[in-house]
Amino acid sequence: MTPGAAASPGILTLTHASVHLGDQLALDDVSVNLDQPRIAVIGSNGSGKSTFARLLGGLVTASAGTVSVHGLDPTRQSTEFRRAVGFIFSNPDAQIIMPTVAEDAAFSLRADRLRKAESAARVTAALERFGLADLADRPAHDLSGGQKQLLALCGALIREPRLVIADEPTAYLDARNSRLIADHLLGDASRQLVLVTHDLALAACCDVAVLFEGGRMIASGHPTEIIGRYESSLAC
Amino acid sequence: MLTLYRPGTGWLHRAPAGAKALVILAAVLTVSLLPSTYPFAAIALGSALVAYLVTGFGVAVLARQLVGLRWVILITLGAQLIFLPTEPAVANTSRVVGAVLIASLLVLSTRVVDLLDAFERGLGPLRRVGIDPARVSLVLAITMTTIPVLTRVATSIREAQRARGAGRGIRSFIIPFLVLSLKHADDLGDALTARGAA
Ligand SMILES: Nc1ncnc2c1ncn2[C@@H]1O[C@H](COP(=O)(O)OP(=O)(O)O)[C@@H](O)[C@H]1O
Ligand SMILES: [Mg+2]
Repeated sequence: MTPGAAASPGILTLTHASVHLGDQLALDDVSVNLDQPRIAVIGSNGSGKSTFARLLGGLVTASAGTVSVHGLDPTRQSTEFRRAVGFIFSNPDAQIIMPTVAEDAAFSLRADRLRKAESAARVTAALERFGLADLADRPAHDLSGGQKQLLALCGALIREPRLVIADEPTAYLDARNSRLIADHLLGDASRQLVLVTHDLALAACCDVAVLFEGGRMIASGHPTEIIGRYESSLAC
Repeated sequence: MLTLYRPGTGWLHRAPAGAKALVILAAVLTVSLLPSTYPFAAIALGSALVAYLVTGFGVAVLARQLVGLRWVILITLGAQLIFLPTEPAVANTSRVVGAVLIASLLVLSTRVVDLLDAFERGLGPLRRVGIDPARVSLVLAITMTTIPVLTRVATSIREAQRARGAGRGIRSFIIPFLVLSLKHADDLGDALTARGAA
């Protein structure tokens, strides 16, 4: 994949954005402009990575400052924003909404009010793409953890979002399944990716990395440089 | 124990979900209201057998359903034998089993999504009194999906208790179970929002 081949992704802009969770300042005055296709978010536990991801995904609102995602305001929760942005969480179990695999994939298309045949065709194609076609009518809770996370990915990507936010999507998975999920996420340069991860090798595959500490974004830049800085802050 | 959709192309599969649900509901009600005597017990179980044969599911699927129901059968029968003579106890159990078997045909032959769509249309008039049928059917679907997850949560808590040598105390079970269930509900809420449902 040549870096220049990617369609120009949208821009994520935060200006002096802060988030309070209870009386905790989870995100502290973050200002940044990100227009790279693949953005890695790294930092220790509790440093504010998830809050940053959830802010971009419209799952929490800024208590101060502004957020713009591809020109859209996440807090408005417009259909347009939801169609443009997909979100993937760590826990494979908590993302399955419908009882069987095909039904769960189809659930993401419900809001679009497609014709039955069209929705079914898209579900079949998507399940095929994620290697879940043979499991279409199986109860979703019978799947392995890796298969469930593939289904979660399928549920998010079937809507063809322009931005995918993934919060430690491989945290519950073994090495093989982590790799599979990462390949799906990193492999498609036609959409933008925000990847929160503790897997620094994955972060190194991205186009830019941002580093969080104590709720603040303390650095952003080339992944190699940012990862180096993070690792040296750990050593001593 | 939950019956689940079995893919197929038989006439029951192709029948529209709403009409199918109504016919099956009528059959279930009829069987449940039969008198509690041996002849009618035979009719209840016989109609279930006939229903599985004419819909093409056959005896094998019926047998599997019965195996799934074994605890329900035992408990229903056992509980009634304590209070009732043998004939009504056996007949009541047969009616319940017959009714559940016939009701299962709906789930066996209909995808949950189609069922929910039909349900949503059927509840349409409730919109006027401020009930959103789409919400109601979504809650039903999530309930079906969540039961196995919470079952697994309960099992893992019991294992953790045992691993630490704690007894089977209900209080040391209920608190972690509530905490984990609420956490799960929170996470599901996020997933619903992210997938454009909320
Ligand atoms: N629901 C919450 N209520 C109160 N504080 C929270 C909540 N969630 C996270 N926090 C706090 O916000 C800070 C940032 O958390 P988070 O963004 O989840 O970090 P990370 O994802 O990097 O581990 C932490 O100090 C955490 O304790
Ligand atoms: Mg986190």
